[in-house]
Amino acid sequence: MSVEIHGIGIGREAGFGKVLRWTRAEGIDEHRRSTTTVEGELEALRTGIASGAEAVRAQSASGDEHAADIIDALLMIIEDDELVSMATPHLEVGWDAATALFLALEDLNAMMGDDEDFQSRVGDLRGIALTISAKIRGIEGGSTIPAQGEWVVVADDLTPVDTAQFGPSVVGVVTELGGPTSHTAIICRSRGIPAVVSAKGALTLADGALVLVDPAGNRVVEGGELSDATTPISFVVVNDEPLVTVRANIGSLADAEAAAQTEARGVGLFRTEVLYLDRKAQPTREEQAKQFAEIFKAAPAGKITVRTIDAGSDKPVPFLPSGEEENPALGVRGFRLGLAYDDFQQDQLGAIHDAIQTTGRDVQVMAPMISTVEEAQQFAEMARGLGIAQVGIMVETPAIVPMVPDLVGVVDFLSIGTNDLSQYLFAADRMHPAMGALVDPWQPGLLRTIAYLMSLAKPAGLPVGVCGESAADPVFSIVLAGLGVSSVSVASAAVESVLEALKSVDLSTAERVAEAALRASTPGAARAAASDLLQS
Amino acid sequence: MSQVIVTVEVRDPIGFHARPVGQVVSAVKASGWDVVIRRVGEEGVVANSPLKLLAMKVKTSEVLEIVVPAEGSEAEALAHSISETINQEAP
Repeated sequence: MSVEIHGIGIGREAGFGKVLRWTRAEGIDEHRRSTTTVEGELEALRTGIASGAEAVRAQSASGDEHAADIIDALLMIIEDDELVSMATPHLEVGWDAATALFLALEDLNAMMGDDEDFQSRVGDLRGIALTISAKIRGIEGGSTIPAQGEWVVVADDLTPVDTAQFGPSVVGVVTELGGPTSHTAIICRSRGIPAVVSAKGALTLADGALVLVDPAGNRVVEGGELSDATTPISFVVVNDEPLVTVRANIGSLADAEAAAQTEARGVGLFRTEVLYLDRKAQPTREEQAKQFAEIFKAAPAGKITVRTIDAGSDKPVPFLPSGEEENPALGVRGFRLGLAYDDFQQDQLGAIHDAIQTTGRDVQVMAPMISTVEEAQQFAEMARGLGIAQVGIMVETPAIVPMVPDLVGVVDFLSIGTNDLSQYLFAADRMHPAMGALVDPWQPGLLRTIAYLMSLAKPAGLPVGVCGESAADPVFSIVLAGLGVSSVSVASAAVESVLEALKSVDLSTAERVAEAALRASTPGAARAAASDLLQS
Repeated sequence: MSQVIVTVEVRDPIGFHARPVGQVVSAVKASGWDVVIRRVGEEGVVANSPLKLLAMKVKTSEVLEIVVPAEGSEAEALAHSISETINQEAP
């Protein structure tokens, strides 16, 4: 049986080869105590940094300009005297030079907190630190790539020194970590090596196994063949307007500003919990209103959909403690937390109302994790009582789907969160590395549930949007349009490709694509049926 | 003390991040001047340390002042080129 691992595809063409499990020399990343003086370690650290940086520079010289700029910036951080100052306290408590460097990077990481750009570079910095550690400890070895054969390099993440070894025998790369802008992704893109990054479960691939790296399908298939590869579809724009409205997903002011640079029409999901996760004390209604107003002002023109706080014991907000839970996904989270902390929920909705007043934006609010009509009523009453006119709910629990006809007159709209709806439909933890295949949005069980929901929502006159990450797959966005949703909402980075897809087809084509996908009994068949129709 | 001050609004959608920071530091080190980058009204940092600049966590639409501790066309050119580097990836 073939095993599929899902991640983020880099490149268009597929690759096929033998898994080469990447290993690093033993002892390179372990914490060690110093066997000499602080001065001796400081000297070793400075020398190690100088020679490690030199090695990285020499090995990365062949990369493209963009990648070289990033490596230059990273090396500058590593060579910054400030970093030695940050490592010194760790030397003073008895760690050796390499350990102190790792610990200083951890401090730096903590200091940078939620900075996304920096977070995406942490792996690269650690990679350079590993090189320095090898110099300091005099360790050599680790994986080398045979010059002959066709190899798919599989690792947790790769460092500039690792990728510098890549030659023509590397036909694919799979990493457990790293995002679309990580060093690994940039190098693979510039060298035309098919890659799948952020592939949860990559390290379960066996050394020597034959795998298909299928970036167009965002997956790696053990036991697959090149002929199974997803054909990248080129969409030809024929209409000025997309089939359904494309909105952006945001969580912060920076996201709102980035979204405003895209052609997204408004916001389909504003995740408000991001504003509270690092707060020790509950912010006042005034302070929240000010934050909301800033974000509303910056958001792209169009309707803004705000989701009330979606936190719980797995995503704790310090001032709303929810205690230990056996199953956080099944506990007090989403609107259940809002009900448990009624004062806070009222304050948040009040602040959203105030920000609507000051900015004059067209804003609607929705509650997460609604599973009964009563909960929807409680939320709607609360929001309307605070002066908010447009009120909706997320569809994330299977239980609310058959109740849709009873929501008429209670709420004004529905928004499907496909990630959570999958998790609860399939009883499959979406964070569990081995559950990837079950929470695949192409699972017919999910597709048919959405179709059932649409068959109830249409006669009820309730508009349905989709704000799960699934809509970021251009082909899937066409299926959703064919199923009758009225809007999709995706991360800013995906807006362009989704708009392109939705401007390339008419409604009858989208409906045929959706019907073909619905008929399939496996996710692979559903994906293939949709792609085949769009290619012909 | 004579100095050149140029004000710049950060328009890069991800703020003042690793790559432009790296390039600004290179330019500052090459100039030999202790160029200061600060938020209006704050002390700021000497722009020869990428860590100190990154730790400022400058986000999009914030306004920065670039202070070159010298006079003349060279100092002005440096200040302006730093302000351009900060926004070189802005749309």
